[in-house]
Amino acid sequence: MEDYKFLFKVVLVGNAGVGKTCLVRRFTQGLFPPGQGATIGVDFMIKTVEIDNEKIKLQIWDTAGQERFRSITQSYYRSAHALILVYDISCQPTFDCLPDWLREIEEYASSKVLRVLVGNKIDREDREIPAHVGEDFAQRHSMYYLETSAKEAENVERLFMEIAAELMEQARSKELPRYDSNSPTINGRTTVIGDGGCCSRMS
Amino acid sequence: MCTSCCGCCSALRPRYKRLVDNIFPVNPQDGLVKNNMEKLTFYSLSSPEKLDRIGEYLFQRASRDIYRRRNGFVVIAMEAMDQLLVACHAQTLNLFVESFLKMVQKLLESTDPQLQILATQSFVRFANIEEDTPSYHRRYDFFVSKFSSMCHSNHNEPELRDKIRVAGIKGLQGVVRKTVCDDLVENIWEAVHMDKIVPSLLYNMQNSRYHVKEADTPEPPQEEHADPPTLAETCMRELVGRASFGHIRCVLRPVLRHLDLHELWVPNQFALHTFRIIMFSIQAQYSYTVIETLMSHLDDNSKSNPKIRTSIADVLSKIISIAAGESVGPSVLEIINSLLSHLRLSVTREDPSDEPQAQRAEKLYQEALINALGEFANHLPDYQKIEIMMFIMSKVPYPALDHLRGFNGPGDVLLQNILLKSLLKVGTKYQTIHFNTTFPMSFLEPLLRMSLAADPDMRLLVQKILHTLIDRHHNLEKLLKPTVNIGDLELVLEKSSRPDIIFIRKHGPEIYRSLYESLEQANNTVENIEAVYTTLALLCVELSSEETVMEMLRLVVSIQDTALTNGSLSAAQKYNLHAVVVSLLVLIPNVVPITPLMEYAEKVIEARRNAGANHLLPELLVHYDPDVCLSPSQLGPDVLVDQVAVTESLKGAGFDVSRLQQVTPYGAGGPPGVNVGHRHSWVETGMRTSVADLNSFQVEVDSVSSSPGVQKKHPEEELTFESMKKLLSEPPESAKEAEEERRLQLSETFRTADFHDLVDRTHANNDILQNKLNEIFSKLSTGLSDGIRPPATPTPGTKQDNDPLHSNNPPTYEVLFPELFVY
Ligand SMILES: Nc1nc2c(ncn2[C@@H]2O[C@H](COP(=O)(O)OP(=O)(O)O)[C@@H](O)[C@H]2O)c(=O)[nH]1
Ligand SMILES: [Mg+2]
Repeated sequence: MEDYKFLFKVVLVGNAGVGKTCLVRRFTQGLFPPGQGATIGVDFMIKTVEIDNEKIKLQIWDTAGQERFRSITQSYYRSAHALILVYDISCQPTFDCLPDWLREIEEYASSKVLRVLVGNKIDREDREIPAHVGEDFAQRHSMYYLETSAKEAENVERLFMEIAAELMEQARSKELPRYDSNSPTINGRTTVIGDGGCCSRMS
Repeated sequence: MCTSCCGCCSALRPRYKRLVDNIFPVNPQDGLVKNNMEKLTFYSLSSPEKLDRIGEYLFQRASRDIYRRRNGFVVIAMEAMDQLLVACHAQTLNLFVESFLKMVQKLLESTDPQLQILATQSFVRFANIEEDTPSYHRRYDFFVSKFSSMCHSNHNEPELRDKIRVAGIKGLQGVVRKTVCDDLVENIWEAVHMDKIVPSLLYNMQNSRYHVKEADTPEPPQEEHADPPTLAETCMRELVGRASFGHIRCVLRPVLRHLDLHELWVPNQFALHTFRIIMFSIQAQYSYTVIETLMSHLDDNSKSNPKIRTSIADVLSKIISIAAGESVGPSVLEIINSLLSHLRLSVTREDPSDEPQAQRAEKLYQEALINALGEFANHLPDYQKIEIMMFIMSKVPYPALDHLRGFNGPGDVLLQNILLKSLLKVGTKYQTIHFNTTFPMSFLEPLLRMSLAADPDMRLLVQKILHTLIDRHHNLEKLLKPTVNIGDLELVLEKSSRPDIIFIRKHGPEIYRSLYESLEQANNTVENIEAVYTTLALLCVELSSEETVMEMLRLVVSIQDTALTNGSLSAAQKYNLHAVVVSLLVLIPNVVPITPLMEYAEKVIEARRNAGANHLLPELLVHYDPDVCLSPSQLGPDVLVDQVAVTESLKGAGFDVSRLQQVTPYGAGGPPGVNVGHRHSWVETGMRTSVADLNSFQVEVDSVSSSPGVQKKHPEEELTFESMKKLLSEPPESAKEAEEERRLQLSETFRTADFHDLVDRTHANNDILQNKLNEIFSKLSTGLSDGIRPPATPTPGTKQDNDPLHSNNPPTYEVLFPELFVY
């Protein structure tokens, strides 16, 4: 039900066609959508997960990769707690665009945003970007790194769960001295401290 | 399940919970249980302190139902909340609203489009309620984000997709309404919101039928079911209409960004449509800001493809008139100046080594800017048009006289050309009433100077400017080409007014001299010669009076003289001049009826025809067959206009020809061509005439006009002529009167014009603006290639000494437009 302790906003970015929408659908609806159209503007999904008996609500904003929607998509970066930057491991150009995306994130997102690099479509045979290349890139830009397959449901659950856990830990450590301070959204559930606390790190 | 366990346990539940439970039917398709709902409403009204708990409980039930996918019950819960919201008193709503909005959000978070649409409807209902004490901590981030996302719905069923989009748009409209009035509530104008709202609306407007080029799209049957584009447009209008001064840019910035990113400038129908909407919905006093923003967007695009710049400038030209009515004082000049700066920039960017296609594109851009200038001027009051013309004139780098040609870089010529085109554009929008208003000295003088530019295209432009400013009776088309068949033209004639006569008496000699010299240019094309003819013919028609006849005839004879003696003109050019001479000779007595002169003119034409001298008659050709065309000296004296014969004709008509005889440098009756020395002396006298010499001219003209020799031949004109004569004998007073009249007119305009409210603002900005303009101007004059400026040490005998615009005097605009800085 409606009780949750934490609300986090997660925004997915990356070139069109890398599988952002599939990742979100896989995670929120447990399916791999057959042939849906390209996202326009921004799509929205919600999922509540539980970590350490705490309910965490994830607001997931799935953005269109095309350049022309850049103005609207960028406006969603700012309030994001986590940004998932996705590329397609079987498509070099989507990897080559990563620096551009980072520049965008640098410009529009909060400096404290949690940044995760995701190489998607690992089920494919025709890999072009070796895992260590992606990992290197992530390390150089101090991002978390994970490889996924929306199609085969590989690492998708883990991706979001670890983000949730990390954000929860951050929230706890930061919010500790303050009780119920400014409520960020209408739902009024602030990220109040919980008792019990363990933090799972991103791998 | 609560609905089924209303037996024993329900008695233990709090009353409000029982009341809430009872509104739900057993089967959701039965809908809200009406009478139970009434009970709940009544209870809420009588126990308002319970309202927030009722709200919370309803929300919890709905959350559970959503979770269990029992959407029917969710719908009922929402409906109940809607009803309570409307029924309850404003002061008790506050806490209930929190639950209400949580409920709306919950529904919006669902993946079911129907629930999302339902939630939006509830939200809109809420948005229309005025709360006594809005909750200042309430945030609308989520709603803006979600509604914007819905505006971009990509649902695979088109019908449902449109419904979701409509809901998104309505939701945004609701948020705007809810937040816009109260500064303490969420600031909707912040970039984080506007960057979502504006592109969402534009994205939907883009699909409007106005822009898709489907020729035969039938009109939609009715407007009730507004489609996303229509609705988005409505919302856009509302948003822009509510924007106060500080907020305009918050809206415009994402608009421009969207147009850029979606590449909607070329073609620009949608951009234009959008800006029209903005201009028509914006609070009128801010419309200037839109122009300003669009101009600065042009700045930002200075390196973009010229097609994009052209499109932006085109949009500017098409909306600028809407702002013109609201622009006053310095803002007018700022707009003009900005447009001129863009023109200048474009000119300096032109590179002869560019692809022809790129050059053409740049030219189109310049044309679009000039159109914008013209459109803007078109909607300004006439007195401001003159000021603008003077302003543009002051920006024209001076062409030096012929012997200074070397100092004119190609960039200057381009800039001159472009500025004169702009001037022409503004000129065509201006309607002359009195010549002295149209041609103040500070405008006329540089214009005449430009009429002697080394470049023939430039001279042509100046003549065209003169045409449009002189032609008050729409005779221009008829007088474009020299002709001897004046009767066919059906010219519109009107007796000259008092101020006109004063004007031509004062400035006629100088104008005629420039036109005369203009005809002497060796690089004249047929078009150039025709254009000078047109100017002369228009002057003749517009300022027809016995007084002007003399001066005009003097000029006609002088032109013939040039045609006969000038060594630098080609044979074709000389034939052209002869044709001009005879065309004017026949035009003059047609305008000011002088029968003997008319007869004489016919005789000359006849003689030319008989002598087979068609090359001395219109129309003007570029090439003449040298074997057929004999020179006038070979043809005999009859084909030429004879000074003595002209004088005699005038005498016969009762004119006092002493002036013609006295002043004319051509020895009476002497064969043409003999008096070369005289001719030169006449020209030189003219050359020296400048501002300083005007007084002496005045005296000369006065003395002639007041000589009592002129007799009346046509009694029907007596009254007019008498009064005219009287006027002519009192020139200084009348000149003063005319001046006074102009001043009164101007101050009257300022008094009556409805911008008192703006006076304060203008006043405050005045100094800043002046400084800014100063800065821009100094950039204008120094930034351009150094060649633009006349040499530091003027060559003796050039006009530069008299040039008021290049001296160290106060900035030009202060001199030219003291009217603009009155407050
Ligand atoms: N093989 C494979 N294909 C995928 C995977 N994820 C997405 N795709 C395909 O990639 C295409 C684009 O996916 P989409 O989610 O729309 O990409 P988005 O533009 O980033 O949202 C679709 O044809 C998907 O079927 C994946 O993990 N493996
Ligand atoms: Mg997508």
